[in-house]
Amino acid sequence: MPPTSKKRLRRRTLRQILGGVRRRTRRAAGRARSVWRRSLQLQVVTSTLVISVTVVVVLGVFLSDQINRSVIESRQQSSATEALADRVQIADALSQKPDDQAKSTSDASGNAPADPLDDVMDTITGSGENGSKKRYEVLVLNTSNPGRSRASGKVTPEDVPQALQQALRRDERKYEFDKPYRFTAPITFTGESQPTPTLVIGGVVNLLDGQNYEVYHFFPISEEERMLSNVRLAIAVVGLGLVVLLAAIAYLVARQVVSPVRLAREAAERLAAGKLDERLKVRGEDDLARLATSFNEMAVNLALKIHQLEELSQVQRQFVSDVSHELRTPLTTVRMAADLLYDAREDFDPMAARSAELMQAQLERFESMLADLLEISRYDAGAATLDLDPVDVRDVVLRAIGDSEALAERHSTRFELRLPNEPCMAEIDNRRVERILRNLLFNAIEHGEGRDVVVTVGADRDAVAVAVRDHGIGLKAGEDTMVFDRFWRADPSRARTIGGTGLGLAISREDASLHGGWLQAWGQQGEGSQFRLTLPRVAGTDLKGSPLSLVPPEIEMRRTWRGQMTPVLLPASADGAGYDED
Amino acid sequence: MIRRRIRRLGAVVAVLAALVWSSACAVIPVGGPFPVGEAGGGDPMSKPFQRMVAIPPQAGWSPEQVVTGLQAAMAAYADDPEILAQYLTPEARQAWKPGGPVTVLDNLVKYDVEGKIGDKEITVALSGTQVARIENDDTYVPTSVGVDRKFTLVKDQQGDYRVKSLVGGLLLTEADVTRAYRPTNLYYLNGTPGSGGANSDMLVVDRVRLRLKPTESFAKTIIERLLKGPSKALQGAVENVFPHGTRVESVRAGDDRVIINLSGPIDSGDIFTRGLQAQLRWSLTSNNVANGRYIEVQLDGEPFYSSDTLTIPPNISDPWLGTSSNAAYYTSKGAVYAMATEGPGRPVAGPAGQANNLYSGFAVAVGGFSVGQGADLIAAKSTAGGIWVTRAAADGRWQQWIQGANADLTPPSWHRDGTLWTYDRRNGAVLRCNPGAGRGPERIAAPSLDGFDVTRLRIARDGVRVAVTIGKHEIRVGAITGSGAAVMLGNFQTLSTVDDEEIRDLAWRDGEHLVVLSQSPAGAVVKEINVGDGTVTKLPSDTRLRTLAAQGERILAGTKKKNEILESNLDKQNWTSKMATDADTPLFPLG
Repeated sequence: MPPTSKKRLRRRTLRQILGGVRRRTRRAAGRARSVWRRSLQLQVVTSTLVISVTVVVVLGVFLSDQINRSVIESRQQSSATEALADRVQIADALSQKPDDQAKSTSDASGNAPADPLDDVMDTITGSGENGSKKRYEVLVLNTSNPGRSRASGKVTPEDVPQALQQALRRDERKYEFDKPYRFTAPITFTGESQPTPTLVIGGVVNLLDGQNYEVYHFFPISEEERMLSNVRLAIAVVGLGLVVLLAAIAYLVARQVVSPVRLAREAAERLAAGKLDERLKVRGEDDLARLATSFNEMAVNLALKIHQLEELSQVQRQFVSDVSHELRTPLTTVRMAADLLYDAREDFDPMAARSAELMQAQLERFESMLADLLEISRYDAGAATLDLDPVDVRDVVLRAIGDSEALAERHSTRFELRLPNEPCMAEIDNRRVERILRNLLFNAIEHGEGRDVVVTVGADRDAVAVAVRDHGIGLKAGEDTMVFDRFWRADPSRARTIGGTGLGLAISREDASLHGGWLQAWGQQGEGSQFRLTLPRVAGTDLKGSPLSLVPPEIEMRRTWRGQMTPVLLPASADGAGYDED
Repeated sequence: MIRRRIRRLGAVVAVLAALVWSSACAVIPVGGPFPVGEAGGGDPMSKPFQRMVAIPPQAGWSPEQVVTGLQAAMAAYADDPEILAQYLTPEARQAWKPGGPVTVLDNLVKYDVEGKIGDKEITVALSGTQVARIENDDTYVPTSVGVDRKFTLVKDQQGDYRVKSLVGGLLLTEADVTRAYRPTNLYYLNGTPGSGGANSDMLVVDRVRLRLKPTESFAKTIIERLLKGPSKALQGAVENVFPHGTRVESVRAGDDRVIINLSGPIDSGDIFTRGLQAQLRWSLTSNNVANGRYIEVQLDGEPFYSSDTLTIPPNISDPWLGTSSNAAYYTSKGAVYAMATEGPGRPVAGPAGQANNLYSGFAVAVGGFSVGQGADLIAAKSTAGGIWVTRAAADGRWQQWIQGANADLTPPSWHRDGTLWTYDRRNGAVLRCNPGAGRGPERIAAPSLDGFDVTRLRIARDGVRVAVTIGKHEIRVGAITGSGAAVMLGNFQTLSTVDDEEIRDLAWRDGEHLVVLSQSPAGAVVKEINVGDGTVTKLPSDTRLRTLAAQGERILAGTKKKNEILESNLDKQNWTSKMATDADTPLFPLG
């Protein structure tokens, strides 16, 4: 069936074309809408246009209607008067007695008297000796008697509008003769190519002998029509001009107001973008000038405040850095002394030996805390740099797991590894990523309550990701962002069992963002938590998404299975959270 | 301070209110004078008219009504030919032809039904008087004949009567003709046909009846008819400047002019333009069409000349209708006198101004006009026989130009080309001589006058038309046709036959009207007859009248007592005494 298939093909293409058109239209409409929504000036001009068009249309219609009515009515009035005069004349002439007629019209030559109908028609149409041309034509129609119908000019019985004739004949049958009718229609007269707008007035002249003469007057109203169409054109042109003028005025006025506002907006935008020395020009003393003055004052104050804050922050950071550095020297000495004490602890009584052990342990913690503080102050100072190498992320993961194995054994926690078969190469700083992973693993072991920790590695074209899942107590709502805060603690009452400094996740996050990657957390009470690290394969490229989902697959499946969304499960982190919907 | 401001505001409001009020009052601005453009002033090309509207036969009409309706349909036939057919049976529809002369009946037509109403076949007899017929060339020929036509009607399938047989041609009443036809004057040039009109100097009127067409302006109808050439009465006698085959494409009104668009074999470089202008101008103006307007003539929609338009001004000053010379003469005791405005005239110079009892039947040709000899020529019949001519100058003397017995020759009549015409009743011949050129009498063929008792022969002032009286009761009008050796008198038609009156005198008023004096048992009758269509206008009569002379608006008469000249006063419808001396016979040059 080639034709149908062809037809189907064509139909499909037509539908496609239509779809394309619709899409394009929608897009254009969207663009227009956005332009309209963004431009105050356009809104003012548009509303002025709409309002003025409405007003002009209403006024124009009213005006032209009024003029129409007065012109047409006066014309109808005068026409009806003329028609009535003619009908009276006809009735008079036709109802004269024949002998009167003979007396009044018999002329010197002794000819037979002319038909009174001819006489009166001569008078009416002006076809007599000194008659002048009338501006209308007359048709006298007597269909019941032969030779009693007359017409002037080129009117014929066919020119009479059917409805008018029927109305007259209806009245004739009812013996009502004093009701003339009018009818306006374009009539094409014999020998003319164009119809002429004509007002036809029809009336019946009834004679005592029972004869009825239908008298039709044809008044051409092309003059009136031309005049009215001129008036209408004039009104339309004036209205259009008025609308355009109003729109132009609105445009100018709006411009006067909007352009300083626009300048202020642009200045505010630049200010927001950090250009704190942005100022507005102040002209005059009006409201807009006062707005500019206030804006400038605000900008000055803002800049001052920001500067103060920056200085304060700088001082604080410097203080932390200095403190850390200053603490190191005495700490080294303390450490050396403590090492000595620790090594010789077997010679001490048990109490002293225990103190030496405790001191050793706390000194280690203090040391690592100091190292973390130094590291973080380096980030704050912007001094951190990356040492990039193409590395298989699986190796990094395995090394970090190896480092964590001792701790895991202590917590009797087992690792479950889900690694891809092919290498997941990425340009990363080996040391920092290993530190991130170590931190995540330690965290998982610490909060995993001895349950399995699942480590998953995923990769796609642009990114690699590592997810670390524990099945511990999980995170409360809102905690998924707070976990990355410095010295944040899930349960302040809980002791730190492993030597966490409270800075690990903060540093990890800084490391991840130094790579241009993301570090995000998901957690749910009783379900455990999952941390996901996503890194670009090539350093410096922007991430578009992650190969792994932030929510663990089993939770996701359960959620789908239940068919309802748990609001808690919504993605958490600010950066990149929007891309994790898939 | 505030009060002052309020006062100022009040003043402004008052001024504004005054302005608004005054502008609202003067809706139509007053003032002037301003020059205005010349507006149309109505349709200059048509005249209002009414026409018969034919209606189809209605069910249940009596036979008489059917025939009346048929007659009305004939009156409307030219406008609406379809209605007429509905009155006829199919066979009659096939057989009937509308062509041929139109029979014009008077308004008192009677219909007599022969047979019983309800019969299958019935005859309606129409009886009346035919007052005229309108020929195919649009001439209106008055007649007076009784007409009796029979219409056979049969019932058709619906039981209504339809006309089964009728004679061909249209049958109109006088009222129908008055309604639908207009007497129209067409003007042609007086030159020889085919000459191109180069030596023409006068217009000759041709009168026809033209039917008004609702879809066409009357101006176009007139020009269409003008282009077709003169009617039978002037055939071969006048010149039409438009070559055969010229058509009028359109006639339309411009702003201040009427534009005539012609097409056909017109050679705009060679045509006699003045004649064309005169023919168009007078043919339209004399029929009250395009009065006072410029006429622009176009050829195939382009200006008439390749470089220039041809416009005809509203007033042509050329004496195309003849000079209206005021010269008038009268005779007294055999002498010719020039008439003065007041009081007695003075005798003309030369022998004609001397009293005698030898000459009679004078005719005057104004000198310097066509004759070219500076002095008037006076011709007269002599009691001694023959026709004599003398110059009205001191050195003039009577010379005999045509011989013949006094009783045999009709009074001489001057032609405007200087020839002198008379009819020799003994030989039955029209004679012509040319005293100015010194050419003696020659016979002019006039076959239609052969065998008739021609009692008078008068040549009209246009030099084309000729009026003769046959016996005492008949006037015929013909025309001088042909040129050179082929000149003859022809196209004679009976203009008027008066059985109960005796024609006493006749005179041409102008190229169109003939004034006739006749004597009826009741007294003298003066009437003016239009030679074109025989229309008779009665003029005031007076029992004293014996002879007539007419020129333009002036009609003079001599009395039976030969002591007075009367002038007709058309306003007061009577004759007033012009001269009460021994005036005998009034004379006008030519005519």
